[in-house]
Amino acid sequence: MADKSKIGYEFPVCSIDVEKTKIADFAMAVAQKDVPEKINPIYTNEEAAKKAGYPGITIPPTFGTTFMFRTGGGLMGVVNALGINLGKLLHGEEEYEYFGDVCAGDVITGRIKVIDMYQKERKGKSGRFMEFTVLETEMRNQRGELVIRARSTMVER
Amino acid sequence: MKLNYDNINVGDEMPVYVSQPLTRTDLVKYAGASGDFNPLHHDNTFVKLLGMERVIAHGMLIMGIAGEAITAWIDNKNLRKFNVRFAGMTEPADFDDLENTTKRATITVTGKVVKKYEENGEKRIQCDITAQNGFDSTKLTGFFIAALPR
Repeated sequence: MADKSKIGYEFPVCSIDVEKTKIADFAMAVAQKDVPEKINPIYTNEEAAKKAGYPGITIPPTFGTTFMFRTGGGLMGVVNALGINLGKLLHGEEEYEYFGDVCAGDVITGRIKVIDMYQKERKGKSGRFMEFTVLETEMRNQRGELVIRARSTMVER
Repeated sequence: MKLNYDNINVGDEMPVYVSQPLTRTDLVKYAGASGDFNPLHHDNTFVKLLGMERVIAHGMLIMGIAGEAITAWIDNKNLRKFNVRFAGMTEPADFDDLENTTKRATITVTGKVVKKYEENGEKRIQCDITAQNGFDSTKLTGFFIAALPR
């Protein structure tokens, strides 16, 4: 069961380098393409990205998810710190708010915060509860500008 | 035609996007690309311990596919918010039974404009989206908000 005393818990501040190859791998994975030539060129080609109005090669809308898995000890680090049972973990909701461009070469810094934990009774099963944990991460670039706010709701069934 | 605020209306539909049938290879690629190595998405011996028959796709892969659908229509740069609620698990296709397993692993993303409004000095739209497999089983519902040029 999730440990409610963890509301307000903040993971250590972490930074990731936004790397070209990682962007291309991610963009190919969500587009289900084998080669970079087949995906939207704003994710692989600097000229195409600049033509589209970005300062450089940019990221797909859900790339922010990599921040969580590459900081805080990865998935297991987060799960263990929160006392969540991996075998019962489901992803309930995910939200991104976009405030500015993120491009290859940027350094993104942030910390994952536990902003809420609550229970909901399971439908049709009185006395049985699902546990919800809401994580929020504000990501800032090397100039200190807020670029993405991510919110993830984890569910323990 | 370039999308702009004035020629888009509440009720307009986003172009339908259909994924390739998801395979275990797609799941492994997404695991490597995202860093999400939850064994639920690649290790059959782990899922058996949970009483499940096979691995399932990352919810975030389905959201990524929905993001691909959205940015095929709206410039990525115009996105202001993207929110989804996960509604069901997605099993990949089995190569030894493609005939019966391709539909469950093929994701169709649809969307409809539900709101036009001004916020932060921008002309914005809200578009509700749904991702379903070939059996109309809903995988996620959600919405995005985009700022559009006039």
